[in-house]
Amino acid sequence: MFRFGYAGAFPRDGCVVANPVARFPMPIATPFHPRTSARCVSLFYKDWAGYYAVRSYDTTHDREYFAFRHACGLIDVTPLYKYDVRGEDAARFLARVMVRDIRKLKVNQVYYVCWCDDHGRIIDDGTVSRLTDNDYRVTSSEPAWHWLQRTSRGYRVSIEDVSDAIAALSLQGPTARDVLNNVTEDAVAKLGFFKLTRAKIARADVIVSRTGYTGDLGYEIWMANDDALRVYDALYAKGHPFGLQPAGLDAMDVTRVEAGFILNGVDYYSALRCMIPSRQSTPFELGLGWMVSTEHGCIGSEALAREREYGSIRKLVGLDVDWNETEALFRSHRLPPEVHPGAWRDPRPVYDARGAFIGQATSGAWSPLLKKNLALATLVREHTAPGTEVRFEVTVEYERRTVKATVTETPFFNPERKRK
Amino acid sequence: MASRYDVIVIGAGHNGLTTACMLARAGRRVLVIEKGKAVGGLCAPEEFHPGYHAPGILHDTAQLRVSLLEDLHLDEHGLDLAPPEPTLFAAPDGGGLTIQPADPGATAADIARLSAGDAARWLEYRAFIESARDLIEPLLNEAPPDLASLGSFGPGALGGLPLGIAARLAKAAQRFGRRELAGLLRIPPMCVADWLNEWFESDVVKGGLAHAAIQGTWAGPWSPGTAANLLLLECTTRHSVVGGAAGVANALQRASRQYGVEIRTEAEVARIRLENGAVAGVALTSGEEFDARVVASAIDPRSTFLRLVEPGQLPIAFEHRIGVLRSRGTSAKVHLALNRRLELAAKPGERVARARTTGTLDDLERAFDPVKYRGASARPLLDIFIPSVASPETAPDGCDVVSLLVHFAPFDLAGGWTPAASRRLGDAALAELERVAPGVSKAVVARAVLTPADLAERFGLDGGHIHHIEPALDQLVIRPTLDTMRFATPVRGLFLCGSGSHPGGGVTCAPGALAAAAIVAAS
Repeated sequence: MFRFGYAGAFPRDGCVVANPVARFPMPIATPFHPRTSARCVSLFYKDWAGYYAVRSYDTTHDREYFAFRHACGLIDVTPLYKYDVRGEDAARFLARVMVRDIRKLKVNQVYYVCWCDDHGRIIDDGTVSRLTDNDYRVTSSEPAWHWLQRTSRGYRVSIEDVSDAIAALSLQGPTARDVLNNVTEDAVAKLGFFKLTRAKIARADVIVSRTGYTGDLGYEIWMANDDALRVYDALYAKGHPFGLQPAGLDAMDVTRVEAGFILNGVDYYSALRCMIPSRQSTPFELGLGWMVSTEHGCIGSEALAREREYGSIRKLVGLDVDWNETEALFRSHRLPPEVHPGAWRDPRPVYDARGAFIGQATSGAWSPLLKKNLALATLVREHTAPGTEVRFEVTVEYERRTVKATVTETPFFNPERKRK
Repeated sequence: MASRYDVIVIGAGHNGLTTACMLARAGRRVLVIEKGKAVGGLCAPEEFHPGYHAPGILHDTAQLRVSLLEDLHLDEHGLDLAPPEPTLFAAPDGGGLTIQPADPGATAADIARLSAGDAARWLEYRAFIESARDLIEPLLNEAPPDLASLGSFGPGALGGLPLGIAARLAKAAQRFGRRELAGLLRIPPMCVADWLNEWFESDVVKGGLAHAAIQGTWAGPWSPGTAANLLLLECTTRHSVVGGAAGVANALQRASRQYGVEIRTEAEVARIRLENGAVAGVALTSGEEFDARVVASAIDPRSTFLRLVEPGQLPIAFEHRIGVLRSRGTSAKVHLALNRRLELAAKPGERVARARTTGTLDDLERAFDPVKYRGASARPLLDIFIPSVASPETAPDGCDVVSLLVHFAPFDLAGGWTPAASRRLGDAALAELERVAPGVSKAVVARAVLTPADLAERFGLDGGHIHHIEPALDQLVIRPTLDTMRFATPVRGLFLCGSGSHPGGGVTCAPGALAAAAIVAAS
């Protein structure tokens, strides 16, 4: 039945798939699938970059969320796109592509980065790790090979798509370090924030980077596909005493909102896929201005320098949606207050006090930890000062109403242990 | 310390020399840097066998834009014009007819031997060309309109472009007739075969004209857009230069000397130096450096931007646009030294300086077919030039030099241009010549084969393309890209002035002259 929709053809035969990041008409399994599927009693999956990815192992994600914040959660992040960039010009080339000056990246260090088109409009965000002198690894949320290839003219580099060759796990939460030290003979005891190290887990060679998408203490573990199950089993067995839980994307989505992390395709759109310029975003608008260096001549640097000088017209901010008003609104319909049980990513309009449209909230979540109804919103500049009161759309009984929301700096949640 | 010039021109071909002379005339201090030993580029003659001098790679001088070169007074430097040369359309069966651009009546009389209807149509065809010329020639003799600002509301765009186009169209309609003007717009996208079928019935006439249209293209007569090539060629044919392309190169060289242009030969530019995104000069492969705020590149656009500009300096979208320009060379050159005079079957006993093989339109299409699959024509088309007819000094007494432009031979030949492949190309060309000049093979004492790969190597042509980028309709209307079609480029101080720019390749000197005007206007 499913294949019928594709007229019997797979995209490798030239079939066009509606979802541009999907590489196959049906998702395929990651190397961890034998373990993750055995535990996924909910059968609750989604398609992440063409792979089956667990949304939550239980019927709700709450237990996994609390594992991230109070113990540690183990999540399969294999579907991330990964590219190895090697060669004597690798640093110069990546500095040209990325808004951060990659020439300053040290061996065993990781940069969070984004990259732009000629007009300083963001294409994607991800990481660059320096594995050896001339050997870098780029991760991205969307396929990036064509962009890297297109921009590499004249540079002595090779670009290899290793997305399907490398499996990855993310271990996030306050006990993550203890678990990893247990399986690696203390290899990560001194591993600093955004640093990486080589280690052995169950005799398999892995790379451990202190990175993640939860805004907490956490690590990502990179390994060859063949070693995936061995590493997973070791972590699972040794992690049990530390409260390790397999976790899915739904729980991670709540934590990333608390951390104020943006998501490509949700909070912004890749400039390469926008049909109208107003849909495009810039690093400054998304709060990534801190990483932009206009000195090293990256793609889009002229436009970025102008924006740095004259300011951006929009800005991504946090919103704290007023609970009392929400409750009152629902009470007026004789209803208990309804909030989305997990994180949401269907955009909602935001208005100023007079009811004029000033931007959109693009994702949000009820934070069980902070007991707050949070959102990430892109608003026009004059409404972005912390403390500004705006109106956030809430639909109650099919009727569109608004409640008060207060502009807040992100991250909403930023524990000291993340960096320490 | 690097020496300072106002302008550095890269490449001493006919366009580079034109730009250099015009800028020197305008008071600039100009340096021309040439990779080869001699100036002239594709127009430079060479002695390929003792006593035998081959003309340049390009040999049709009928399109030289004398009106754009008036300032240079090239006549005082030896440029000698004559009426356009008659061309023999030589059929493989030994038949043929002579096209005399300057004498439609005589041509019609010759055509009448083959088809009375075609003879009458020939006069109509020539009349059509003469009136279309009024419209087309001015378009080719000035800088193209600023299409990049089309639809914007700047004062220049609003006042200049639409009004300029409207005024030009109104004037043309007046002269040409409104219905005729509308009818003319129909032609450029057509296949030249379809268009010629509307006019003529004789294969000799159609094949000869279609051959001219597809020279140097990556197209056969049944490819769309090839009618534009014939139309442009016919409308710009006005005269010939005595001494051929070498006559043009020699006059420009003498002029450049008088106007104080400095020329460095055997010097190769390694890169165009930039400072803060603007041109600062050039660096040679020898390590030597020259300073200049303006660099005019007469070499092809892809080599200019992708080879000479350091990576990381160009907008990505622009670099991609340049990267996808099509420059798949399909022309080869074969020089033959004969120990007697060339005798063409169609004109026994006559001295013929120019001839072109003809055939059915399908024959021509079949010559193109293998190119699509990286193969060379088994039966190539020959554009035949015998320089020793007009210039006897180019060959020993009683002998001839025969120079052939051979189509089609793809630059990216499957298996590469090995010595064996090169030899096969020479043999195929000679076999084809044998059909129109029986016995010629026995008279050949030496031959030189220049494959597209040889042209690329010797002249630094991207894809070995003699017109720098293909003269396809899209690459003629916007040449080479939207951001560079008016000679200036996104790199401040860097201009294009070669065949890859408007109005295209061939010995016209028009890109060089128009680029010089753009450079003067910009400073």
